[in-house]
Amino acid sequence: MPRITIRDWPPYSPTDQNRRENTVAAAKLMMNAALTAPSIGASPMTEGEIVYGEEEQEQIARKMEELAYENEVWQHIFLYEAVMARQADTLLLLGNTRAYSDPWNGECGLCAGRPDCSFVYENREQKAGIIDTTDRRSDTLVKGPLCTIYAHQLGYNVGSALMVAVHLYIDARPFISIGLAAQKLGYCRNSAVVVGIAINARAKCEPSDPGTDYHLVNLDSAVDAIRGNVNQLTIRPATGKEYRHADPAKKR
Amino acid sequence: MPLYDGKAFAQEGLLQVAQHCAQAALHAPQLIGKTDIKMKIVAGDELKHYFRVQDAGNKLGARFGGEGYKMAYNMGEPPVLLLMGADVTPIVEAPCKAACPAGIDVPRYIRLIGDGQYDQAVAVVREKVPLPSICAYVCHAPCEAKCRRGTVRDKPIAIEALKRFAVDHAGKMDVGKPAAEATGKRVAVIGSGPAGLTAAYYLKKVCGHGVTVFESFSKAGGMMRFGIPEYRLPRQILDKEIEAIKGLGVEIKLNAKQESLDKLFQQGYDAVFVSVGAHHDIPLDVSSPDLPGVMECLSFLRRVNLGEKIDLGARAAVIGGGNAALDAARTALRLGAKEVSVLYRRSRADMPAYSDNVEQALREGVKIEFETAVSTLTSKKNALHMECVRTKPGAAGADRLPLPEPVEGSQFSMVVDTLIMATGQSPEVPTEFALPLGKDNTIQADPDTLATNKEGVFAGGDAVTGPASVIEAIAAGRKAAASIDRFLGGLGIVDEVLAPPEQIPQISPAQEVLQQADGDPDRPQMGCLPVEEALSGFDKVDHGLAEKEALLETTRCLKCDQVGFDCGACGFKTCREAVINCQNRLNETGGEPWGWLMKGPSCVWRALELGISMDWAAAAAHRLNVESRIGMIPATIFMRMGYMEGCTLVTVLPLGPCKERWYFSPGTGREAFRPAAMERKGQILQYPPLWMRFTGPGRDIGRRGINVKDRWWEPPYTRLEIVEDDAWGDSVLDRDYAIFAAADDVRKKKNWRRLNLPKIKETLDNKKSQ
Repeated sequence: MPRITIRDWPPYSPTDQNRRENTVAAAKLMMNAALTAPSIGASPMTEGEIVYGEEEQEQIARKMEELAYENEVWQHIFLYEAVMARQADTLLLLGNTRAYSDPWNGECGLCAGRPDCSFVYENREQKAGIIDTTDRRSDTLVKGPLCTIYAHQLGYNVGSALMVAVHLYIDARPFISIGLAAQKLGYCRNSAVVVGIAINARAKCEPSDPGTDYHLVNLDSAVDAIRGNVNQLTIRPATGKEYRHADPAKKR
Repeated sequence: MPLYDGKAFAQEGLLQVAQHCAQAALHAPQLIGKTDIKMKIVAGDELKHYFRVQDAGNKLGARFGGEGYKMAYNMGEPPVLLLMGADVTPIVEAPCKAACPAGIDVPRYIRLIGDGQYDQAVAVVREKVPLPSICAYVCHAPCEAKCRRGTVRDKPIAIEALKRFAVDHAGKMDVGKPAAEATGKRVAVIGSGPAGLTAAYYLKKVCGHGVTVFESFSKAGGMMRFGIPEYRLPRQILDKEIEAIKGLGVEIKLNAKQESLDKLFQQGYDAVFVSVGAHHDIPLDVSSPDLPGVMECLSFLRRVNLGEKIDLGARAAVIGGGNAALDAARTALRLGAKEVSVLYRRSRADMPAYSDNVEQALREGVKIEFETAVSTLTSKKNALHMECVRTKPGAAGADRLPLPEPVEGSQFSMVVDTLIMATGQSPEVPTEFALPLGKDNTIQADPDTLATNKEGVFAGGDAVTGPASVIEAIAAGRKAAASIDRFLGGLGIVDEVLAPPEQIPQISPAQEVLQQADGDPDRPQMGCLPVEEALSGFDKVDHGLAEKEALLETTRCLKCDQVGFDCGACGFKTCREAVINCQNRLNETGGEPWGWLMKGPSCVWRALELGISMDWAAAAAHRLNVESRIGMIPATIFMRMGYMEGCTLVTVLPLGPCKERWYFSPGTGREAFRPAAMERKGQILQYPPLWMRFTGPGRDIGRRGINVKDRWWEPPYTRLEIVEDDAWGDSVLDRDYAIFAAADDVRKKKNWRRLNLPKIKETLDNKKSQ
């Protein structure tokens, strides 16, 4: 039997759903724009996925929260960005499939090794220049070293996607954390490096100006806190004068 | 309707498009917010240089000489180019480093102190400042004012105290020997203050010129010796630094006041650096300044610092609010004055003296009368009677400080035995120098080159800026040395690599101390001599930090020079490891590209973030129906020519008729410009991605002596035999050098920062022999 989940909050109203589904349409256009971005060497190397839905986004957000406690360096960032992943209407993931397995071979010298990509090859199991990608173990957040120029290429893809969001007047912000968490959950599984873009179509774009300790104090938690105290804080029994006496509309 | 020149009209429009693209790039979303994009529009005649440098590569062909340079060649055709780039190394410019006038790598030496490498930390300081001990004792630490720790509701790192700790605890500090061969050129430096000594050090040691320093006083050191009291800068520290510079072969002539620049040129000097300091007191606008008991501040300090015993009486006053005023007041206390007052016409917030100096003065008993001015001064019965008045801030003056206005009815009198005037300093430039002078007699010089309007004459330090700090004078000396070297035909490169390659320690002493500490460390206070003891002589007042305090303090550093994400994408487990690797590589190559395209290593996220901005620029052009194409190889040519200084990843966005089909269609006429041999090689390389992807690092690695763990290119992988037939050999390296040399020629003509060609040649030759 499939899982049946019941939760009385937050309510997903039809209008809410409509808005979210519209952002999926935007995400699809953004993904196309990412594919037509300027390309280094004109080789196909872009991978993308759209994540939409309460359960899926919750899964990514929880993975981010789990990763947060692995290293103090990024803990705070991951915690408040997890809230943003949870609150986003849609997530667009973009990755580069060559940065790990197939360096550019352009003698660019952008990575930490000699200008012949040997830094990447030396740190991989490989034969005849074919890198074995089956060993996915890593004690760092990203399994490096990556080909820097292809990571730079991913910037073009992400930039094009974001540009479309601007033209569609949809709020979008790129996140390292969302991409990394999603990657660990198996999204964009062929990619070495993934960036997540949170897409929102709300009046308030929360990722743009998060407050301090946003993982604790954010719009959802604030609304929920008020709801939790609703009887004490907002609706009070009329214990004073009879209310009609204070009705300003009523002429004495 | 007017008729337009079509080409000019098109270019004018494209310039506007380029600006629009630049705006789009600046407004692109950020990923980590640590990538500062730089842009430059290049058009018209500027492109001629591009073709020259590119041709240098084309003539030699090889490797990318085919497709890559074919593309690069056509890329120069559009009339407007937008260059975009950024520093994407793992090293982020920290605010403390940016605030240092001399550009000392502050986070790096703090890191080394934390690792217990005190001598290396001093070497890092010496890479930018040839007088590290002096800098450690008297610098006013503008770095601390910008320390990010201090801007996040905490106290800034005690950078100055840490530097002094390193200097005090480093072993023998050897300045080394002149690295450059003697050029036969001679430079005269007038003045042996911080600017003069710094210029002399670099001109002799790094550039190889003969240097003679002319000092008008009987001892060298300038304001460091005659202006700064011994309790702030112990003389053995100063003497040691001067001796080290003399040990390089710099001749210092004492009691050798110069009155004529022409005579120096007649004596065979090829260039002159005027760094005479600001040793002249500006008199106060009060009647009868030459009464008995009235002294000028600098002459008073000079006499004391030369060992003269001066009787000031029991009561002394100092007029002024600068460091010289407070130095005079504190010196007066040490000479036996019982009451010393400083009269300053503005508030403490406006006081130009360093806060540390003010606090020490107050601690020692100096009474500071803020917002007080002297109106009249008379001498009666061997005492000076001063009529004073309280002031209040009025309208802002030319220096943006409020002009003090007298408060009516606030007059009061003071009687003192000695009055010291510390109301300003100015340079004393002999009229025979015939140099253009500005406000307060300061010499006017080009701010970028420090050249005066007299050929071969440069000026810097307090003589140009008016009274400023030691570190600013050192920075000026450094800049002057580079300019003078360029004037004498050198490269103008005064950078030194003195610290050895940094290792990541197994155990960090700082972390060990931190683990034993109780709670979070706080900014340490340097211990001071008791006031009575301090006033009994001229010993250094503060003790400096203890080792434990210093190590603990290094752990408070926020490491703003690192991206600080520790993600591992670049291949290093921590950003710290990446930063160390990057620094070592920069030291190895002098900052020039390691790869023949760009300068690595890079932070993957910074590179990605730059990509977003670049894409937005290209997209902006697209929105305006203007063709564009992001190009990387041509951008490297510009990078080598000196454009986009400080960037490690540069791309170019050509705007205009830049059609993709040009690269593949014959008959466009461009082929005629390329030698036939190169064309053939280009055809051979029509499919480089196919074999390159299969073979991995490419064909010429064996010739470069690169040893990877698995020599996979050797048999039995016979497929590789196809690419081992490489007849070009070292031509790749020759081509690299040719490009560098042509680019350097452009830099020379533009008077831009030169490439270190000898070092590049040495690096490339080493690769050939591998």
